[in-house]
Amino acid sequence: MRGLLKNNFFAAWANAKVFAAFLFVLGSFVVVVISQSLLIGFVLTGMIGFSVNAAAVTKNEFASNWGKYKLTLPVRRVDLIKSLFINLVIWMMIGTFFALAGTSLSWLLHGCPFDNPIDMLSMFALGISMSLFTGAVFFPLFYLGGEERSESFLVISLLCAFAISFIIISVVNELMEPGMWHVLIGNAVLAGCSILAYAVSFPLTVGIFQRKEY
Amino acid sequence: MENILELCQVSKSFSKSGFRLMDVTFSLPYGAIMGFVGENGAGKTTTIGCILNTVRKDGGTVKLFGREMQDGDLDIREKIGVVYDGGNFPSYWSPKQLSQVMAGLYQGWDQEVFSKYLSDFQLPAGRKIKHYSRGMTMKLALAAALAHHPKLLILDEATSGLDPVMRDEMLDVFLDFVQEEDHSILLSSHITSDLEKVADYITFIHEGKLVMTVSKNDLVYRYAVLRCKESQFRTLDPGDIVAYRKRDFQIDVLVADGKEAGRKYGDLVIDHVSIDEVMLLLVKGKRYERTS
Repeated sequence: MRGLLKNNFFAAWANAKVFAAFLFVLGSFVVVVISQSLLIGFVLTGMIGFSVNAAAVTKNEFASNWGKYKLTLPVRRVDLIKSLFINLVIWMMIGTFFALAGTSLSWLLHGCPFDNPIDMLSMFALGISMSLFTGAVFFPLFYLGGEERSESFLVISLLCAFAISFIIISVVNELMEPGMWHVLIGNAVLAGCSILAYAVSFPLTVGIFQRKEY
Repeated sequence: MENILELCQVSKSFSKSGFRLMDVTFSLPYGAIMGFVGENGAGKTTTIGCILNTVRKDGGTVKLFGREMQDGDLDIREKIGVVYDGGNFPSYWSPKQLSQVMAGLYQGWDQEVFSKYLSDFQLPAGRKIKHYSRGMTMKLALAAALAHHPKLLILDEATSGLDPVMRDEMLDVFLDFVQEEDHSILLSSHITSDLEKVADYITFIHEGKLVMTVSKNDLVYRYAVLRCKESQFRTLDPGDIVAYRKRDFQIDVLVADGKEAGRKYGDLVIDHVSIDEVMLLLVKGKRYERTS
């Protein structure tokens, strides 16, 4: 597993370096300029961007024989998939770290950028859910449809993640009266659903991958 | 003699392409190199896929080290080194990164051995693989395949596209590898001259069917080609004919025992046979199916 995680990390690292530099510049603006929408954009871009990059690099492995070669290594197929799922979570956490750093500095310099500090929780919950939903949709689609359609699948996954997240938010808004509990429960439902979808996606992807031939 | 690899009646069909691998049966003894020969699309890579479980066979058995390899049999995979044609590793890696990944995958990964091969093959450890030539990439793949001390090397067209000097270097490594009596190599290749240099056995496959497995010594010293006219061909005992091919003014007939054929058909021209010629006779000629 250690080798697989390193493999996935190296795969994501090249693009992540560029993305991290971009986030650093964007983060500097966020810290200097007082803008709630810019901060929300920064947080979501950071969290979702790193996750999408982690998912997207899966296709790079099929540019060479590596995707096939991995099956000859002393690892089980289930571990190959597990490493991809873990990799996405690692990069999501790296994105969260960037987002937290920018948000904290902004708060430190200019005060809380929201009317209610708890609204910041919603921002992070949305970032987490979008990242996990993207992965949950992308990985099974990728192995089901083939690596040559990976770009399309990534876009579809991202749109699905967006749609699912906002459907959940809308349903919660419909069912609950505004207030602190509404925000807390709404975020919990959003995060819970995405974690559940990610967890369900794992055995589904493993099932598809077990039947794949290279 | 025990076998490191045994295939028995292995079959696989692909509905999209219509290709079928039919009842492939052969075995590779310990301490031997087997050349696996066939034209493009003959089924070499599919067979190797069935051996390595990258392709799910429809029927038959594949035994590696006496056992059928399942997904969880990591101990068997620890003992196999694989080199595929083309790039085995992502181009954005350097050998150093490759080594870091492999060290986390193979319990027996030996950094010293890997570094030694990098040095012997003159491969810069810090340079990204995308800046390597094809020959360097293949050498790197071989270095990685050997650095965890495998007992069985499976090479799928590993020497194709390499210049003669590089191929010769790789062949030396193969010969060195099988000095250990429990080491074996399955080497699929189009380049039959390479196989003539190193292989102990040659297995021919054509259109998904195994044509024959023969020891190289038998092929070189026993097999022969009779050059005969149509009228002479008709007098041949069908039992002597392995395959034949009609050409403009003669018929080339592959026989399994050149000396015996010489005694029996003294008036015919009898030539030694190369692997290339056997392959052409088996692929382009007609084969006699023996029932006994």
